Amino acid sequence: MTIGFAIAFAVLTGLAVVGVARFLQQRQDFENATARSYQVEIAARTRLANGIQPAAARTVILGQQRKRQALRDDIGGETRDTALLVGAGLIAGLTGAALLFSGLIASMRRPLEELVEASGRLAAGDLNTRVKVGGLSETASLGAAFNEMAGELQRRAGERDQLETMKDEFVLTASHELRSPLTSVQGFAELLMLERDELSPKQADTVEIILDNTRHLVRLLNDLLDLARSDAGRLTIKPATIDVASLVEDPVRTMLSQTEAKGQSLTQEIAPGLPPLNVDRDRIRQVLVNLLTNAHEYCPAGASIHVTANNNAGGVELAVNDNGPGMAADQLDHIFERFTRGDAGLTQHVGGTGLGLAISKSLVELHGGGISAESVEGQGSTFRVWLPAVTGRGSNDAGVVGGYLVQPQEEAL
Amino acid sequence: MSTRVLIADDSETILLLLRTRLEMEGYEVITAADGVEVIEAINAGSAPDILLLDAMMPRKSGIDALRELRAAGVETPVLIVSAHQDEMDAGAATDVEVSGYITKPIDFEKLFSRIAELTA
Repeated sequence: MTIGFAIAFAVLTGLAVVGVARFLQQRQDFENATARSYQVEIAARTRLANGIQPAAARTVILGQQRKRQALRDDIGGETRDTALLVGAGLIAGLTGAALLFSGLIASMRRPLEELVEASGRLAAGDLNTRVKVGGLSETASLGAAFNEMAGELQRRAGERDQLETMKDEFVLTASHELRSPLTSVQGFAELLMLERDELSPKQADTVEIILDNTRHLVRLLNDLLDLARSDAGRLTIKPATIDVASLVEDPVRTMLSQTEAKGQSLTQEIAPGLPPLNVDRDRIRQVLVNLLTNAHEYCPAGASIHVTANNNAGGVELAVNDNGPGMAADQLDHIFERFTRGDAGLTQHVGGTGLGLAISKSLVELHGGGISAESVEGQGSTFRVWLPAVTGRGSNDAGVVGGYLVQPQEEAL
Repeated sequence: MSTRVLIADDSETILLLLRTRLEMEGYEVITAADGVEVIEAINAGSAPDILLLDAMMPRKSGIDALRELRAAGVETPVLIVSAHQDEMDAGAATDVEVSGYITKPIDFEKLFSRIAELTA
């Protein structure tokens, strides 16, 4: 199309140029003819003045004057015709030029639009995106540069994915390999504790320390394994319908001996008429035990820990509230990240792995729920877990693995 | 007559631990270092009341040994000991019928109650 316009433009512009040339030629012919006519008349007038054939000379003079008049009339008409031709040529040429430019713009616009669309797809994460390289040399080289960039991005993303996979496999393998020696250490330490009566008090304490640390290692290993599974998309849940009361009561009962030993009160309040939940009992138990353990470990002796379950937004909200030391806002922002713990000065007294909340978040989101935390320094913290009810927002069919749906439960309370 | 337990693990230490704890509970214990030895013991007529097999062992895994025994018509209850959930999931996906899974580190109270249940 562009070539067609270019040809038309060239032809019509050529026509205008030919017209102008023709006009100039006609003007030259007219001037030459007029000059010759004057020369003939002057010669006739000289003959007349000298009295040579005066009648014939007069006739020549009159004839030349008429001839020049005819030439003038003629050149007037010719000029008009030429002007028309040139005008028409110019108009056609300008139209052609306009069309040519719109054609040029159109031929650039298409590849540019394609580039814009491809950039959007690339930004959205489709690293297979490429553009057709063609059109004008500028758009073609732009397209080629884009494709090169996309290729490089894809290559690097591939390398990164490979490294991630290697890391996940390493954690899974390491976790497996570490488990056998840990089984022996824990098993034989337990064996010693079975014969506690035969040990001196100092020996018994020593074995107790070995056991505590072994259990901590096992917990760390389990948490690392959960995170590696989560990263690899292999963290799975096995949901079953369960009533909220039994879901909450079991972890609370588990924690009671520990909180009592520290002089902390642990109470629960379950709202009546809560809908049943479709959750993985063990995994939600893990989340609640983690929240309760955190409250227990971070709160001083004599603190109060209160667990509530309430109807909220088509689901159930489980909340663990304490009147402990609380957290500063900048700590709170990172609380669900890995290896994040409250005040570093406290970590020595706290037995957690720093992974519990990150895992809890993954587990709750795997259920189609959400987790959030609020805290006021010096007054206490509240952790909220929202889980969808069986009916209503059924985002988790049995066995569903994905479905990360963060719920709108950011309201400050 | 006391209950006879066949235990298989490629770690001698774990075999010693299991043997000690089980014998303290009054069980009679036969040990095997891998799946091949499990099959040999059964073929030799050791007739255990229950098998406690490690999921992953060289030469022949606990799962493979179990599959072979079931194919041969041996209906003895089998508990599979595995390092973690992923192995249990892998085991559960197979065609063989397993009486239960025990994870490492071993919770012995849980193990004893499972054995008691399965050999009652």
